[in-house]
Amino acid sequence: MMMGLTSYLLISLFLMICGIIIMIARKNIIAILLGIELILNASALNFVAYSKFVAKNFDGQIFTLFIIVVAAAEAAVGLAITIRHFQISESIHIDDATQLLA
Amino acid sequence: MTSTLSSYIQSIPYIKENLYWLTEMLGPEVTAFVIFFIGAFIVANVMALVGGLGTYAERKISADIQQRIGPNRVGPLGILQFLADGVKMIMKENIVPRDADKFLYYLGPLLCMVGIFAACAVLPISSGFILADLNVGVFYLLAISSLVGLGILLGGYSSNSKWSMLGGMRGASQIISYEIPVTISILAIVVLSGGLSFGKIVQSQSGLPTEWYVFHNPFTFIAFIVYFIASLAEANRAPFDLPEAESELVSGYHTEFTGMRFAFFALAEYVEVFVLCTVASALFLGGYNVPFRLGGDSLLGQVLQTIVFFSKTCFLYYVVIWIRWTLPRLRVDQLMTLCWKYLTPIALFNLVGVSIWLVIFDGKSLLQLIKGLF
Amino acid sequence: MFVKFLFIASSLLTIVSALSMLMTKDIMHACIFLLGALMGVAGLFLTLGADFLAATQVMVYIGGVVVLMLFAVMLTGGNELNKRGLNPVPLMGNKFTFALGVFGASMFFIVVYQLLYKIFHYFHLSVVDSYESTVEKIGRLLLTDHILAFEISSVLLLGALVGAAIIARPKRN
Repeated sequence: MMMGLTSYLLISLFLMICGIIIMIARKNIIAILLGIELILNASALNFVAYSKFVAKNFDGQIFTLFIIVVAAAEAAVGLAITIRHFQISESIHIDDATQLLA
Repeated sequence: MTSTLSSYIQSIPYIKENLYWLTEMLGPEVTAFVIFFIGAFIVANVMALVGGLGTYAERKISADIQQRIGPNRVGPLGILQFLADGVKMIMKENIVPRDADKFLYYLGPLLCMVGIFAACAVLPISSGFILADLNVGVFYLLAISSLVGLGILLGGYSSNSKWSMLGGMRGASQIISYEIPVTISILAIVVLSGGLSFGKIVQSQSGLPTEWYVFHNPFTFIAFIVYFIASLAEANRAPFDLPEAESELVSGYHTEFTGMRFAFFALAEYVEVFVLCTVASALFLGGYNVPFRLGGDSLLGQVLQTIVFFSKTCFLYYVVIWIRWTLPRLRVDQLMTLCWKYLTPIALFNLVGVSIWLVIFDGKSLLQLIKGLF
Repeated sequence: MFVKFLFIASSLLTIVSALSMLMTKDIMHACIFLLGALMGVAGLFLTLGADFLAATQVMVYIGGVVVLMLFAVMLTGGNELNKRGLNPVPLMGNKFTFALGVFGASMFFIVVYQLLYKIFHYFHLSVVDSYESTVEKIGRLLLTDHILAFEISSVLLLGALVGAAIIARPKRN
């Protein structure tokens, strides 16, 4: 089992595709946020793999730290919005979130 | 440098000659794996023993505080009581509630156990016997022990019962809130020692109490107190044991768990208290350092270091048990107020204070400064 | 040998968890499979020599984001159906939405594969054997070369903290 750049890119491509399918197919807002987390992790894995094999410095790892930070902040705010929307309209189905003014 | 148990054992000359034939036969990596396996086996068994003896110690010490005798029937002074409890729990019927979420019901206790036993891989027991002296040791321990809170949340949710759910949510919110003062207090010590690895932090202290980090400057002293209080809350113990409050929530998140699953939760809690006491003694109280470096690095020195390590940790464990049977329980809002309005600002102020001390006084401790005045 | 074993185990964990996330009908199980996938990615970071990053991943994602998702599921009613009942599409998707998802993902795959095809042919690189500590290097880089991003991310986190607390607060009418 060769552990080269190719295998890491294939794994991150697989994670990305799973994330895209989850984002499109699910109708629960929280399930969509789970798909977003998978996509962010796939890109983080890509960054670290490239920084290790091609660039051979640590810039990819620093960028991955910032990806983790931004993903955590975005998950927090997204879930806060979901909870607020649930308090107003009693539903977490994304087809119910069609109005800008509740 | 990441040094490990394997490299230490392979550098002892007596063992090196005897290992030569093993290395010839299996190759260097499998030999390292065998050494690690034996080391991890010993550590896991000792931790399980510590968990069992912790229950015995709690019952005896609480009996002493309450002026009664405690278990004294099963073996001399009742010391085999934990084995009797273990046998009783193994023989209990394996009940799963009918509407419980089976996958999460099986997973909850497992996550608690895995989270806390995986954290035992970085404990500095003596200068040669750290299973893995990771360069990110402290960070790894904090990260892996947050799996315990997740296990409590899942255990409470999957039991499909009101009391369990309330206990689980309270427990999880308490654990994730108190992780913040714990992490910031530990950061104050990391700033002082310059690295995240346990071996380096313990080696930059020394045996005498004047060289411990807790007496290094007043900020680390406050950090020790904040860390101790917050780690009591993190382990769901002492005055903070609302998630398993026996008088309010019928036992909280582990109401519906019987037999070995309940034993997993209880064992994880006692081992977690032990691990947190170990971290306190390694970071603040000088770890395994023997006063005056008696014994050096020889086998006698290692044994002395292990004894010093265990005695410091058991002293802190006694203090934890003592606090549990002395103080009344806090309400949920008092708990959250304590964390967010008192401990977190104090911990942040400490971190800034330690950094400023490091810059102004160049890393010298208070006693060194006073000695330098004369 | 250890590194190969860790690589195989982490990639298996990641792939199996991502597939299970696709195929489950229960949102709580989906959160737990996300936990598995994130642990697998942390293991893959370890095989690439990024030890500080792996510990950060476990601490932030598993100690924070997954617990947050579980709390949000519990606070918003979990697996119950929506109260309005007007939508015919179930909460976790039916075959039609999955077919649309697979179509979208295959469009993405076709585009990306044209780019990756050349990389698979040109780069036959394998892992360097020396693993060194990254903590000091990352710390030094964060405070010298990338200090602007570091400070801006702290402001971002402050904004997210205050914003999330205010948005999710129950209104007193």
